[in-house]
Amino acid sequence: MSNKPATSQSKPNTPSKWFSWVGLFKLATVLSVIGVVTLIYLDAQIRHRFEGHRWSLPAKVYARPLELFNGQQLAAGQLDYELTQLGYRFVKRVTDKGQVQKTNRGMIIYSRGFRFTDGDEQSHLVEVTLQKNKVTSMRQISGAAMASLRLEPQLVGGIYPSHNEDRELIQLNDLPNGFIETLLMVEDRDYYSHYGVSPWGIARAMWANIKAAAVVQGGSTLTQQLVKNFYLTDQQTLWRKLIEAPMALLLNVHYSKEEVLEVYLNEVFLGQVGKRAIHGFGLASRFYFGQPLSEIKLHQVALLVGLVKGPSYYNPHRHPQRATKRRNLVLSVLAQQGVISELQKAQYQALPLDLSKAKQVSRYPAYMDVVRRQLQQHYPASALSNQGLRIFTSLDPWVQHQADIAMIEQIKKLNQSYGKIPTLEGAIVVSHRDSGELLALVGDHDGGYAGHNWALDTSRQVGSLLKPVIHLAALESGQYHLATLIDDGPIALPQPDGSIWQPQNYDRKSHGKVPMYEALTKSYNQANVRLGLQVGLGKVMQQLNQMGVEQTIPAYPSMLLGAVEISPMQVNQVYQTIAGNGFYSPLSIVQQVTKANGQLLSNFPFLVRQAASNDAVYLLQHEMRMVANEGTAKGVYRYLPKQQKVAAKTGTTNDQRDSWFAGFSGQYVATVWLGREDSKPTPLTGASGALNVWGQLMQHLAYTPYEDIKPETVGYFYVNRATGAAIPTRCPDGVAVPMINTSAPSINTNCGY
Amino acid sequence: MSSIKITPFKYISLCFLAIFLGACAGPGYGPIVEDRSVQARTSQRLPVATNNVHGTAANNSVTSTKPLKPAAVEKPQVYVQPKAQVTVTAQSSSNEVIAVVPKGKDVIVAKKQQEALPTSDQAVVEQLLAKADSLKAQDKMTEAIIQLQRAQRIAPREPKVYARLSALQLSLGEAARAEQLALKGLTLVPNQKRYQHFFWKLIAASRSYLGDSQGEAKAIIQADKYK
Repeated sequence: MSNKPATSQSKPNTPSKWFSWVGLFKLATVLSVIGVVTLIYLDAQIRHRFEGHRWSLPAKVYARPLELFNGQQLAAGQLDYELTQLGYRFVKRVTDKGQVQKTNRGMIIYSRGFRFTDGDEQSHLVEVTLQKNKVTSMRQISGAAMASLRLEPQLVGGIYPSHNEDRELIQLNDLPNGFIETLLMVEDRDYYSHYGVSPWGIARAMWANIKAAAVVQGGSTLTQQLVKNFYLTDQQTLWRKLIEAPMALLLNVHYSKEEVLEVYLNEVFLGQVGKRAIHGFGLASRFYFGQPLSEIKLHQVALLVGLVKGPSYYNPHRHPQRATKRRNLVLSVLAQQGVISELQKAQYQALPLDLSKAKQVSRYPAYMDVVRRQLQQHYPASALSNQGLRIFTSLDPWVQHQADIAMIEQIKKLNQSYGKIPTLEGAIVVSHRDSGELLALVGDHDGGYAGHNWALDTSRQVGSLLKPVIHLAALESGQYHLATLIDDGPIALPQPDGSIWQPQNYDRKSHGKVPMYEALTKSYNQANVRLGLQVGLGKVMQQLNQMGVEQTIPAYPSMLLGAVEISPMQVNQVYQTIAGNGFYSPLSIVQQVTKANGQLLSNFPFLVRQAASNDAVYLLQHEMRMVANEGTAKGVYRYLPKQQKVAAKTGTTNDQRDSWFAGFSGQYVATVWLGREDSKPTPLTGASGALNVWGQLMQHLAYTPYEDIKPETVGYFYVNRATGAAIPTRCPDGVAVPMINTSAPSINTNCGY
Repeated sequence: MSSIKITPFKYISLCFLAIFLGACAGPGYGPIVEDRSVQARTSQRLPVATNNVHGTAANNSVTSTKPLKPAAVEKPQVYVQPKAQVTVTAQSSSNEVIAVVPKGKDVIVAKKQQEALPTSDQAVVEQLLAKADSLKAQDKMTEAIIQLQRAQRIAPREPKVYARLSALQLSLGEAARAEQLALKGLTLVPNQKRYQHFFWKLIAASRSYLGDSQGEAKAIIQADKYK
């Protein structure tokens, strides 16, 4: 207040200047020039942003496609699960793509078709006959023959740009029936007649709001909404308010209604999952319904259009009632406007929301983590997060699903049986026996995986899982056969520091001389250390390196009992080599990368490298089958039918800090690790812990017979169980073991005694 | 305010400024909705992979998304000694070339041996193999490999898949890979003479390409054993 007289004092000196017409004219000129400049600037902005705009399209990561063919064995529940994950609808009668009908004999599937790296798979209407989950015949409803049906691969994730926007681009001709009518009826009735802004729309909205004494309608046109989302930040500033309308007008001048609409459809924000922002109707349809936009029905269209007003307020997952109310309101508007009849309205309103039943939030995080790691070696981050690359991986959604379940359920059971085991963590790695494809990865105790991937980033001692490597090195030397007697007597070794290392058996007993196979089936520490020392530490380590463990391992005798720290992933690589008849193939994660348009950029071919001779590995496989049949791993047959052959090995480390189980069936190689985060002792051995996870997992995977392909150089010989001598077949106490013909002992005619 | 004098010159310069500003923010005329063939902008251009033998698809288009490094190969590349060209002339019509080896000996197998190979019990596998053959004939090697990998997924122990993969790698000059694939194939076919002959032929040709004449001689002996 005290300042006022001071300012007013100076004013009387210049009144004539302030009110002069010339001054006013100048001011008006300046303002209009500023106005024109602003307009020109805005116009350029509009054109630049609109035409030069490219959305950052995250790379899409796909699982392996499910291929159905005659004779294929599926697991119980697998086909239903995979179709559900793909957003197929189970209906009484198939009429459209993306639908399945169950029949007495199997299923009728109307596939969607997909552009694969090796060409388009067309949409097919196919009847698949199933018997005990095995495909026994396939025919097209049209009558045409069909050798195989490749379903679309499941989209399992994306590699998002830093702003976490995700979208799936659509064009106007991707829209389902009734979409445009619904959108315009609700959001902008005069869209095709206004100039970007609609005074009539504002007036109508105001009138509606006054009538309802609340904000029920917005007066913004779609064009204005687009300007808001597209060019302006979310902040409600005066400047934004001022330029919104002129920008909308300018947009309307430069571009056709169709062009603006198409951009709007892809830009509109329709939901948020964690950090990921769902933009555009294309992705929204996938996200909420698990279906491509072109497939959705009017009640689903009504829900998506209804969401524009408030994606989080009407979030159909969190607030199904609100969302239903909103959807039904949209349907009522359509009926009022004569787009649908009252009867149709009632029918649609009676339908459920039809949300996707598939798991939506961060599926398969541990697997996505290895995908990202592999891709980062080959592509720069920007290419992955904004060019819409398509990444085809080996991930098998069914195996992954079962692995997740097995881990969660078995950890729960272990916690019940042993009392809560604090910070119990776990990891599962599953690969395909012949191709080495990495099918599934569980990175922690509940499949949630936050940051630390226990399958890759944790190296723990492997305990007895190393014993098969000792045996392979021994068999490779040509000096041993499966019945060679090994001394299991006490052993004492001086250490470099002067102390004495005295490994003991788990049962703290010695078992005298035992055949080599028994040293493995019973996992005797003393016999195996002795065997390893006889073969030579260097040989054992060399063998391990050949099988895929690259790091150098200190050559102490304790490594023979698994004082070797490697990750579950590497363990699986070693067992993959055993399962693959001695051929190492790198666990393959990404198979192909294409550009958004399908053009192939990379193919990661199947490669093998021989790491051990086929006949030696055959003998080892036999030993490991015996481990499962009668040895430390026999607990797996609590889960599996006895006729299902598996080969496996348990592993337990000092003070039961780590519980391991690794092995393979006819089709799968799997490794399970359990242990505490802080590496403290647990109550678990390999057989009482990890075995259960492995067993439950294998129980739910498709059963493929374990094919034994016996090399020509190998024959079966009877040996005396007690003495290990080769004996005639008529003798008692005999057991048949395979031997390499050239290293087999001569037959003892006294039945080995 | 009064201190700002707007002269005609300033009007003109302001107009120029406006035009200039407009031009600066000017349009980069492009499609409104991307047609899903996202083109890399110059700043996002990636280094061009120089080595194209690791399964990277040939990419002749103007766009530039290429792998930083060639695809996953865990073992060091074997240096391949250039070979004297062996020209295959006047093939007997009873023979068939199963792998044309660049700068190496083509792998030729008697036709009757080929025809005698049992058909896979999966119709779809035979279809895929035929498709792979036709792609290979069109020189689309990567695409052919993709077909074979698909066949392998369906019939993981089908020796024909290994035979074709091996022949394909050999045709690409990847003799070390070809040899290993054939060796693995051999483990699937004990007591199946025709296949064994086939695989040993591939192994001999691979070793010859790699300059391993002793190994080649051994493989030839094996191949002859199963003739």
